[in-house]
Amino acid sequence: MNSSILSIAPETLSNMLNTMVPAHADDADLYLQHSISESLSLEEGRVKHVSASTAQGIGARVIKGEVSGHAYTDRFETAALMDAAKAARAIAESGHTKSPLAVHTLASPHNLYVSENPMQRVDLAQRKALLEHIDALARSIDPRVQQVFANVSASFSHIHIIRMDGAHLSDDRPLIRLNVSVVVEENGKRETGGAGGGGRFDLTRLIDTNEAERLTREAVRIAILNLDAKAAPAGTMPVVLGSGWPGILLHEAIGHGLEGDFNRKGSSVFSGKLGQRVAAKGVTVIDDGTIADRRGSLNFDDEGTPTQRNILIEDGILTGYMQDKQNARLMGVAPTGNGRRESYADCVQPRMTNTFMLAGKDKPDDIQASLDEGIYAVNFGGGQVDITSGKFVFTTSEAYYVKNGEIQYPVKGATLTGMGHEVLQKVSMIGDDLALDPGVGTCGKGGQSVPVGVGLPTIRVDELTVGGTEA
Amino acid sequence: MNNQSMTDIASQLVDIAKQSGASHADALSVIDTGESIDVRHGKLESIEHEDSRGIGLRAFVDTGKGLAFASASTSDVSEKGLKQLAEQVVNMANISEPDPDAMPPIGATHPSTDELHAWQEKHPHQQHGWTTEQAKEAAFSCEAAALAYSDKIANSEGASTSFGETSIAYAASDGFVADYERASSSLSISVIAGEGESMQRDYAYTRARKAQALRNPAEVGQEASERTLRLLGASGLSSCNTTVVFEPRIATSILSHLVSAINGRAILQKRSFLHDAVNEKIFPDFIHINDDPDHMDGMGNRLFDGEGTRCSARNIIEQGKLTGFLTDRYAAKRLGTTPTGHARRGLTGDTGIGTSNLILQPSKESLDSILHDINDGILITELMGFGINGVTGDYSRGASGFLIEHGKISRPIQGFTIASNLKDMFANISHIGNDLTWFGSTAVPSIAIENMTIAGQ
Repeated sequence: MNSSILSIAPETLSNMLNTMVPAHADDADLYLQHSISESLSLEEGRVKHVSASTAQGIGARVIKGEVSGHAYTDRFETAALMDAAKAARAIAESGHTKSPLAVHTLASPHNLYVSENPMQRVDLAQRKALLEHIDALARSIDPRVQQVFANVSASFSHIHIIRMDGAHLSDDRPLIRLNVSVVVEENGKRETGGAGGGGRFDLTRLIDTNEAERLTREAVRIAILNLDAKAAPAGTMPVVLGSGWPGILLHEAIGHGLEGDFNRKGSSVFSGKLGQRVAAKGVTVIDDGTIADRRGSLNFDDEGTPTQRNILIEDGILTGYMQDKQNARLMGVAPTGNGRRESYADCVQPRMTNTFMLAGKDKPDDIQASLDEGIYAVNFGGGQVDITSGKFVFTTSEAYYVKNGEIQYPVKGATLTGMGHEVLQKVSMIGDDLALDPGVGTCGKGGQSVPVGVGLPTIRVDELTVGGTEA
Repeated sequence: MNNQSMTDIASQLVDIAKQSGASHADALSVIDTGESIDVRHGKLESIEHEDSRGIGLRAFVDTGKGLAFASASTSDVSEKGLKQLAEQVVNMANISEPDPDAMPPIGATHPSTDELHAWQEKHPHQQHGWTTEQAKEAAFSCEAAALAYSDKIANSEGASTSFGETSIAYAASDGFVADYERASSSLSISVIAGEGESMQRDYAYTRARKAQALRNPAEVGQEASERTLRLLGASGLSSCNTTVVFEPRIATSILSHLVSAINGRAILQKRSFLHDAVNEKIFPDFIHINDDPDHMDGMGNRLFDGEGTRCSARNIIEQGKLTGFLTDRYAAKRLGTTPTGHARRGLTGDTGIGTSNLILQPSKESLDSILHDINDGILITELMGFGINGVTGDYSRGASGFLIEHGKISRPIQGFTIASNLKDMFANISHIGNDLTWFGSTAVPSIAIENMTIAGQ
């Protein structure tokens, strides 16, 4: 019996493919995955949660028109693999099998990140020491720090894709993340603040740089700031969004609505709007899976399509959707390298990679100064969208009330809401300070989570609804 | 794995861990098999077959300065795989920091053999009761009923069914071994009405252990269409302070915020706005919330929790008063209380805290009568986003639903937020409905909360 997915003989894979692909299939593939992950967490001054997992399995898929059959298994006996192949084929009903295919290796189209285990040079004891350092540092920064939580996690996935044409691609995907959060207390009042960062690179980068210290200082700063936060206003007003992670606005407000499946099915508010104005002049939005080391990047997507830089909105005009192979075929366009799956045990969906707006010419200070009365939102937590009506929300984690162009005071976390097809038309200033997020994004769709990136220059949106309590 | 059961493998893994240097260990194994089917516009869209298994090990080592532990999981249940897993976990535990309060898996209040037998008899092995064809038919008839409901239903996101069985086995180094099986089945549908920028969608679903207990597929389809149609023409509203009625489907979120805030681990970590609320009245007198691990309508039935502690029925809120925090054995030891049997564990990672079947007891008052009583306010049918601060209780979420004027629903509304603080929201509940509805392992009626801030135009 094979004990690793990676030790399945090439002939077995070739047999599987030849068994499961009917002659009239539009597409089919095998997806083999072997992933290891390790996580260490510190709380109450102790690194007492150390955990790991090893996951491996194979997904078999056959597509005919709008119909797809999938089977997943983590058993590697030849019989179990053949059962999976037959189950995937079942949707195609009868039909002759394609003439035999030969599996052949295809080189990776990009080389965007290290293909080595990101954990191998920093052992568990060093990672533990890193967390202990963060704990001591946070407490030394401010005596009001009562609790420190820190987590370092890393994973390494080997992915093999065998496409219907017999092409065999493989990719080694590292992913690491460091998170710090603190609880501070002053006069019986408690608040929390957090910061995180990561990407597809080696853990040594956390050890050899001041990244851990930077995140720790940031978490403490946010928590202390929140101690003095006042209630946010309630109502519709101009909002200035800071650079970097506030790009989650793009992800929620328009990104999901531009995914190929929703547009093929006509369920997105952006359906049928190609070539139309969906944003103010000057707004250009890109989804780019080819940025080195980024959390949302991939050498090729989970169907073996090379990732690329896709222009979604150019100078305010909608120019393209994000596609996997099935939706691209059904819409008569080319796949864009956005076909992704959380694991071998999930179906492929069109998903974002790194989504951001190009910089403009305005100075960030001028953008903030333009606010007569409104909110300057520097950082955010998560968000959500209803792609059919266009409603979206995202919640501030660092924001200020601004009057006459001057910051007055920090405000408590408030949910901002608007309509995806309207919000970018209300962008009136775009900063020259495009920044990508620190590498913390995880996107959920149809029960699947995948790592993504976002980016934004400082922008002014003339009208958003701010969900505070101060009417 | 031949003829060996996963129960045997879990016990074997505990033994291997001890041979590898663990002083205590427990193991959990899970096998999932099932299918998911999607249909759309009367045609099959996808079929997925799942067949997965995994085993997780938690091992404690004696460091001389107290017990330290670690955990890991794998899907490789060969003898070699188990040995590798055990060695990995013991190595990791040796790096982990000891905790003087660590609670190894010995001495928990396990259910007796008689109780285990009685439970098996009362809850015999259940199959989901669906063939692929029957499930497909259910999805087709659900969608057909939704589309036939009205010409205004312009599009469908399809109907989905999933069904399957999960076998779970637990073994601890004090000799406790037990296993159980769970079937589950579900049917859901989402449809769209209107076009262009005035499109609206909504959904309906049904879940049960056995497919035969699901609601009628056509009725589920009709509910989705009815819900979607009534949203057409939704517009904004002005900012105000008013009473917000949460319909049962989203009122479940209020209970989950409560559970997060009385999680014993969050209390230890000072991450809860209810850290000092035991025996305090945090709700009005008429609020009663209980956790029932053996309820005929609930999907969260369990005899023992993630650490093998026997579960029992518990009143969480009695006449508005918080009776205590929810604990696993570790949190209970630190808080100086008795474990409440709420440990929840996955294959890897530390134990968490979770309820079994959580029920907010209904009143005798109908939703219509509540709307009549509050006269002006809003009825919420959808919530969006994650604007909840667990440390302070601050609450701000996107919402949509209906305006209530003169005691009746007047028009659909969207594009606004509702905000308050959870402490105030709990205290400001003015009405509870008689419309108790089950959603998996949570049952709630409609809830009306006074004095929330609406941010709109």
